[in-house]
Amino acid sequence: MKRWDLIVIGTGLAGLTAARTAVEMGAKVLVIGRGMGSLTLFGNTIDVLGEIPPGADMATGVADWIAVHPDHPYARMGWSGISEALNAFRELFPSPYTFDSVGRGNSLVPTGAGTMRPTYLLPITMTAGAGMSAADTLIIGLRGFKDFQGDTVSLDLQCRGVNLSLPRYGLEGLTALALARLMDEGPFRESLGEAIRRQMAGEKRIGLPAVLGLKAPADVLKTLETITGAKVFEIPMLPPSIPGTRIFHRFREFLIAKGATFLLGNPVIGADVKEGRCEGITLQNPPLLTVYRAERYILATGRFLGGGIQADRERISEPLFHLPVLQPESRGEWFRERFFQPEAHPIHRAGIVTDAELRPVDAGGRVILKNVRAAGSILAHHQMIEEHSHEGIDIATGYLAVRRALAS
Amino acid sequence: MDLQTEVLIIGGGATGAGISRDLALRGIPSLLVEKDDFTSGASGRNQGLLHSGARYAVTDPEAARECITENRILRRIAPHCIEDTGGLFVSLPEDGHEYRANFIRACGVAGIDTEPLSAREALSMEPKLSPLMIGAVQVPDGAIDPFTLVVENARDAESRGARFLLHTEVTGLIREGLRISGARVKDRITGEEFTIAASQVINATGAWANEILSLAGLSIGIALSKGSMLITNTRLSERVINRCRPPASGDIIVPNDTVSILGTTSLRAEDLENHAVTPEEVSFLVDELSRMIPAIKGERFTRAYAGVRPLVQTAQAGDDREISRGFALIDHQSRDGLEGLITITGGKLITYRLMAEKTADFICARMGLHVPCLTHLQPLPGAGRGHTFQDRLLRLRHQIPAFRRELLCDCELVPREAVDAILREGKVRELQDILHRTRLAKGTCQGGFCVYRLLGVLNERRKEEGLGGSNRILKGFLEERWKGIRPVLWGTSLKEEELIESIYKGLFNLTPEEAATADGGHP
Repeated sequence: MKRWDLIVIGTGLAGLTAARTAVEMGAKVLVIGRGMGSLTLFGNTIDVLGEIPPGADMATGVADWIAVHPDHPYARMGWSGISEALNAFRELFPSPYTFDSVGRGNSLVPTGAGTMRPTYLLPITMTAGAGMSAADTLIIGLRGFKDFQGDTVSLDLQCRGVNLSLPRYGLEGLTALALARLMDEGPFRESLGEAIRRQMAGEKRIGLPAVLGLKAPADVLKTLETITGAKVFEIPMLPPSIPGTRIFHRFREFLIAKGATFLLGNPVIGADVKEGRCEGITLQNPPLLTVYRAERYILATGRFLGGGIQADRERISEPLFHLPVLQPESRGEWFRERFFQPEAHPIHRAGIVTDAELRPVDAGGRVILKNVRAAGSILAHHQMIEEHSHEGIDIATGYLAVRRALAS
Repeated sequence: MDLQTEVLIIGGGATGAGISRDLALRGIPSLLVEKDDFTSGASGRNQGLLHSGARYAVTDPEAARECITENRILRRIAPHCIEDTGGLFVSLPEDGHEYRANFIRACGVAGIDTEPLSAREALSMEPKLSPLMIGAVQVPDGAIDPFTLVVENARDAESRGARFLLHTEVTGLIREGLRISGARVKDRITGEEFTIAASQVINATGAWANEILSLAGLSIGIALSKGSMLITNTRLSERVINRCRPPASGDIIVPNDTVSILGTTSLRAEDLENHAVTPEEVSFLVDELSRMIPAIKGERFTRAYAGVRPLVQTAQAGDDREISRGFALIDHQSRDGLEGLITITGGKLITYRLMAEKTADFICARMGLHVPCLTHLQPLPGAGRGHTFQDRLLRLRHQIPAFRRELLCDCELVPREAVDAILREGKVRELQDILHRTRLAKGTCQGGFCVYRLLGVLNERRKEEGLGGSNRILKGFLEERWKGIRPVLWGTSLKEEELIESIYKGLFNLTPEEAATADGGHP
């Protein structure tokens, strides 16, 4: 089979970042994914480290935090490495659909549960949410669209809320994707804008479910803002995620234009490992098993949801390379007694332990496979859910893994 | 608000609701108080088995006869709560042929129909059974929906004048000399306290019997036994699958609508309210039951739960008025010299009607009335209405134009109208009450998606009523859900859990209650 410079396994944000970093460095890249990755589930904004208080300087905050979390993946590259990777990400999204921070640090944005969530980089369609106040904001729900409950959001945020009905379009039972496709059509967004305008009572901001189109969200935003005369923002909601799907599409379009090859939909079922190196991986494409070979491999297969690690009743394991997984002693210790606790469930810290170059290591710290690097949430020693660090870890480690891999 | 009634029933399980209906059919007024919702105790935490009695045929023929009699009555009066699955008693090589022969003989004595099957016949009926099996016996087991059964009993009783107070806890018994003349109660939602005067008080609280009796300084000999069960993500068999050996832990798989329920264990219960299923119990059930159905090893489990059985200690029953080995009706006048109070406890879901009948007979005798029981003749009001997944599908298809429906749960086909109808009735008071009355949160995601949507429906009403919102309800639900999910988190369930945590803790940033006030995020 054809030899590639780099094979990326996984199409979450870590894998896509790795692939993109590699093509920018001139490498011939193959990207293999079982599905569309976690971006299409949760991707909305770019969280880096939610524990840094809103408004505080990120550079100092993250550096101080790393000092007390020396095992965290962020400790591999420090703030300078993280911000370099984030800048590369932002370059991929030129005007008008840009990603920016509000001020120099984290900001709080409203969610579909009516809470506020800290995040770092926001797409232009969410920026206005960061500055909302209860008095000046109107929350719009769409009657019949069940994955965004406008009344839950407005009651908890204590602002006014209205559920719109657009009988002409029959929104009952529509999915987020179907709504986003409707938004891509001019007449629909204009009808929606007019319907919102009729409900307004002097509000200066309008919050909507995050479905403002897949093709040209900035145009949808502009149309709605022009009609309503208010600032409009999207609110993240239950999966699937339209904003995350936009990020996925943008990466894929860029990578294909740069000559990368995508193989989506088939699982990698085995690896050919010889003398501390991966010599090839086997893709199941019934009725065929195809072996793909490359100089280097990036393992960005995620956690349990992505299939990067898995658990039976006894142990957690890594199914592809059978790498050792750092984990609690027994199943009884995986989770704490209560769902909500100040301390994260111990299983969240489980994952692959690596050296400084993100190569998986054994218990003695010895590199297991010289040409394989792990990136993203599969890594050990983070608690991405509680830390609000998922996208930051994906971007920073996907970037670093490829920089190191191609330098070797 | 102080109330008065003829008979005060404490406990909204199958027994309490059954007594309420029995008395109503005899024209005797009653009022039932329940500290949570209907079936919050063992009536809602069992395997949903319509016993044929075969399980007890060898060891307890009297209980077996009781079961088969009630089995036949329930098929007549509550066909809509029952799925007539039939059941198999499966012999594995280590169980041998001898027990099987005894079993068939004993069933015959108890009046339970049996049909011996060869291993091949059984396998063709239930292909997932272990090919190692040596034979099976078919018996008239079935599946029963306890919640519908209890609610239907209550609904029928109410239409005949009985009254119910849910989320109302008994805090004290009113004593006048040697007589109990009512109870002091507290509404657990509003906190309101009031009294209910009654000429007879029935303690039908099952495992909680001694909690009530302690208010009068009494106690009876009951042992509390925790039984744990696991729910699979798919239905493993058409029929109830029992192990053909002496009764033991881990010997039964009951189909329930679209899933199966694996049971059970038996451990001494230490805490009535909190009984976590341990990893050891889960592993035991999976290992033991996969001997009958090997596919269980790779099956996905959606939830584990436990119920507490009140077992009447017969050794102490010398001065009790013992009616059966399964349950006990205790007259505290003859036993403790305290008039106006009786306790009914023990028993099984399948004998709830019989327990109610004996209790009502006793009350009638006390009141000097001669009114016959009718509950074995009079079908429940909803009889004839199907309740299976297929029935729901058919109703959806026929009643409403396609694609115009807002389904709150896509897996279990719960339309928004079902929730609106419950809310219109005006009787539900808590999120969990709605979950009890629908199939919301019973599917694969265990409410991970549909409860968010349900909360939206509730908040829409709160907004109309000028009330504020609170994600405390959502957090409370997730915490409650966790109790059932945590014991089965491996394999595919663990993937689902990462999804749920990513949504609620990640995307929605829901934090522990203590820390929530300090989030500073609310404008």
